[in-house]
Amino acid sequence: MSDIPPAGAQPTVAEKIFTFVDERVGLKLLAAKMLNESVPGGSRWAYVFGSILLFIFIMQAVTGVLLMFYYVPTADHAYASTQYILHDVDYGWFLLSYHFWGSTAMVVCVFAHMSQVFLWGAYKKPRELIWLVGLALFALVMGFGFTGYLLPWDQRAYWATTVGVEIMDKIPIMGDFLARFLKGGPTPGQMTLSRFFVIHVMVLPAALIALAGLHLFLFRCAGPAGPFRGAPAELKAKTDYFFPRQIWKDVVGMAVVFASVSAMAFWEPVVLLEEATPDPGDYHPEPEWYFLFIFQHLRLKMFSGEFGQFLGSMGLPGLLGVMLVLLPFFDRSPERNIFKRPFALIGWVMLTASILLFTVSAIINREFLD
Amino acid sequence: MSPTKLGFGILWPAFWTGLPFKLAFAVLFLAFGIVHFETRIALAFLMLLASPVTVFAVPTITLALGSNIGEGPGIALLFLLAIPIDIWSLGIVGRTFFLERLRREPPGGLGLTLWWKCALVGAIYVPILWVAQGVITEAAITGAYSILEADALRGIPVAEGISIKLTLWSTVATVALMVLLVIGFSLAGRMIRRTVQSAGHAPENYQGLIVRWDLMRVPLDQGWMLTALSGAAVVLSVLFWFSLPVFTPHPHDCCKKPEVMAEPPFKPLETLNKNEKMIAHLAAQVELLVEQRAKSELEKEQSKGKGKEGTETVEAPDATKPAAPTAVNQ
Amino acid sequence: MQPQLKSKVHCSDREVGEVSRVIMDPLSHEVSHLVVSMNGAGERQVPMGAVQAVTDDLVQLRTSSSEVMGMQPFNREDYVTLHEVEIPGLEKHIHVTPGEVLVPFPELERNVKRRAFFANLTYVTGLFIGLPLVYPVMKFLMKPMYAPLDNGWLKIGHIGKMKVEDAGIQFQYKRKIKEAYLHEAEIEKNVWLVKASPAVLEKVYQGKDMEFLNASGEAIWTNKKDVPFLAFSGKCPHLGCAYKWRKHKVLGQVFLCPCHLSIYDASGRVLDGPAPRPLDMLPIQVSAAGEVQIIDMEFKAGTKSQTRIV
Repeated sequence: MSDIPPAGAQPTVAEKIFTFVDERVGLKLLAAKMLNESVPGGSRWAYVFGSILLFIFIMQAVTGVLLMFYYVPTADHAYASTQYILHDVDYGWFLLSYHFWGSTAMVVCVFAHMSQVFLWGAYKKPRELIWLVGLALFALVMGFGFTGYLLPWDQRAYWATTVGVEIMDKIPIMGDFLARFLKGGPTPGQMTLSRFFVIHVMVLPAALIALAGLHLFLFRCAGPAGPFRGAPAELKAKTDYFFPRQIWKDVVGMAVVFASVSAMAFWEPVVLLEEATPDPGDYHPEPEWYFLFIFQHLRLKMFSGEFGQFLGSMGLPGLLGVMLVLLPFFDRSPERNIFKRPFALIGWVMLTASILLFTVSAIINREFLD
Repeated sequence: MSPTKLGFGILWPAFWTGLPFKLAFAVLFLAFGIVHFETRIALAFLMLLASPVTVFAVPTITLALGSNIGEGPGIALLFLLAIPIDIWSLGIVGRTFFLERLRREPPGGLGLTLWWKCALVGAIYVPILWVAQGVITEAAITGAYSILEADALRGIPVAEGISIKLTLWSTVATVALMVLLVIGFSLAGRMIRRTVQSAGHAPENYQGLIVRWDLMRVPLDQGWMLTALSGAAVVLSVLFWFSLPVFTPHPHDCCKKPEVMAEPPFKPLETLNKNEKMIAHLAAQVELLVEQRAKSELEKEQSKGKGKEGTETVEAPDATKPAAPTAVNQ
Repeated sequence: MQPQLKSKVHCSDREVGEVSRVIMDPLSHEVSHLVVSMNGAGERQVPMGAVQAVTDDLVQLRTSSSEVMGMQPFNREDYVTLHEVEIPGLEKHIHVTPGEVLVPFPELERNVKRRAFFANLTYVTGLFIGLPLVYPVMKFLMKPMYAPLDNGWLKIGHIGKMKVEDAGIQFQYKRKIKEAYLHEAEIEKNVWLVKASPAVLEKVYQGKDMEFLNASGEAIWTNKKDVPFLAFSGKCPHLGCAYKWRKHKVLGQVFLCPCHLSIYDASGRVLDGPAPRPLDMLPIQVSAAGEVQIIDMEFKAGTKSQTRIV
């Protein structure tokens, strides 16, 4: 999209097409409004995580669709078709491993994005709605991870899901209904696989696209929050537009994530365990790594017993979720500088540290299970 | 400006500026299989990220201290390639920093100057940091374990114990790491300060400085730069396509691919000659056997007369019938 | 020029007020009326027909002030603003606002070369992401498309079945196939065998042995021209239907395909119908004991030249 064609030059074919569409659609104006969004304080590398998340989602969708060319969601062939992709289809191992590590990258970047928004105070007025929609998107990402994990139908997949759904069963009042809905019956089987498959490839992607669109729309309504400190003169001098600088930084961020996920795919390609059987045998069920910290809670004595299990696995995380939802409503101070918000800073550090500690504890705990 | 702020303000952006290029090569080398990472991949990533300071420290750590971050000739190659990348990124970051934060005129060859200074500081300090951090972490782990071994806390269940021990030693180790890093950035800042002090003042106002470092990133000949980059993308992609293993390097037990052995070349004349020779040899063997059989039968008759003395019956090699040449390569 | 808001309005005799609002016609996209605020005496709706001349700050009417006072008073409730309704393309034709509302143009964005460079650099970076994926994804998707050909010999029966010369006899056989990750399955196929007389053999081979080549061009089998047994693929070369050996009213005993009525003689030559080529021959081997073996092949239907697909 060139700004001003050189004076006197014959319009190129591209320019002619552009003018044709512009007369009918107002493309120039539309492009200007979409792209020339002023970013106060200039484009920043700290802001790239939102766009990176969009990129990761697109890559997951692309690799996911490719995998669907060969994967079948039936209990008799899910495992065999996944092994077929891994061993017999050219580069299937790479695409499946990319899809697997891409989900890890998604969770890491969601955490980075949420942390950046939190630390920059970009959830405060007038951005409360963006924050709320973002929390819903976070829940969807967790849902993606949970439903996708079952699809290979090996021991790890089957038992992680069994344990996860059993945990949901412990929710008071709604638990049994919810668990049966997800399992498609009293115990996990073909119905579970079908339900998880359709949720993973149709329901959640549609919901994510809709909510991400809303998230972006709300973001444009409120405008970028910009840095939390800086003299107005400084900010004005550095201001530039979303296009091209911020977009370019976003793309470089995407390239770094792409390279990192590819590197992970080479480092640890997906290897399936044995095919799922009703008997776990020697295998110790474990959820995906981003649920490990909740999983570890359940090993603590204070969370034993039926109510204790509910508290540790759903109650406390649920409480944290509620606090996050209410955050923009009880933190109404307009101060956005993180160094002047001690509670916010300490709270974030404590939360991150405790999630990390419990995750690593879960990994260390593996050795004690035998 | 404090040396720590100076060191951090230049090194942190320089690390991340060089990263995309280093990662592109890292992925390519992984595809070629000339580099392997095991559990220390996070450490390898950090070392590569901080290559302006670690480039000469990594050999020290690997050889003298005996711990490696990965295997394969690719590691050395990555750090070698990182040198020009780092010189470039330190140059661009250094010039930006000089203009915006220090309001000074960046001297010529700033990238190279910054690079050797940082590499020198790193070559000496990073191994020290490595050893110190290792010692402190070990001590913290031992300390945490012994605290929990104490009688008063013996009753703590396994899961709680793990978390408490982890919290204790990781807090100590993290604080130690932070302190060591701050010292490191401060040392780098001190080295860089001399270059700063010898630099002249930049004439423009604030807006002018911003515009200057921003436009510094736009090359004089855009077409050439963009074509060169596109060409690099094409070359790297083609190399990637060539090197990417078609089938998984970690197959499951179910589906291990049979080792592909090259078919022995088919040489008809040789085969014919071999067959002829084999037939002749076998014919000779058969004759020999017939003779031996005749002999042994004669001897048997003789020994029957003589009794059991003397002769041992020669075991005729009946069991080893000459195998007919059935599986000859057609 | 369109009348500007806030410009003074002069009648033929005196100044009457100023333009307070402008009314546009949604169909013609032109100004249809002016609303003139009459210096405190209410607002009047003045059609554009009454306007004689328009300049930057003055609208000259050709009517007198008393005529204007007699014009229809302006009723705000009869109208809506452009914020309340969507009229496509109307905004492009509005030029009634005096002056402009401006915001600062950032210093950094003024350099067109910079914008162009970063835009193009974005595309090049995108190339680094997209291009490496092209080849692996293509190969991934193409995996089952060109499956290697199976040249195994299958036993299909005994020549004892073929008692009559130059007559088609159907041999049915089973073939094991394993598709991707599915369990091994058996499918039923058939071929037509003919015990050929020398005349028919001559028609088929025309003096040359028939060679069958594999994908790399090496010969895997040769049907000798003097071996009197012919095997024809059970699929009609027109569109792949199964054909039969039947008595035709005029042409006698022939191979007849019921789908589109292609007719072939005992040598496989096309006698009638839409078939593009003769019946496809298969490699055939007859052992000394009379056991018949063939290599199962399938060929692309509907083409003049023969292309093997299975």
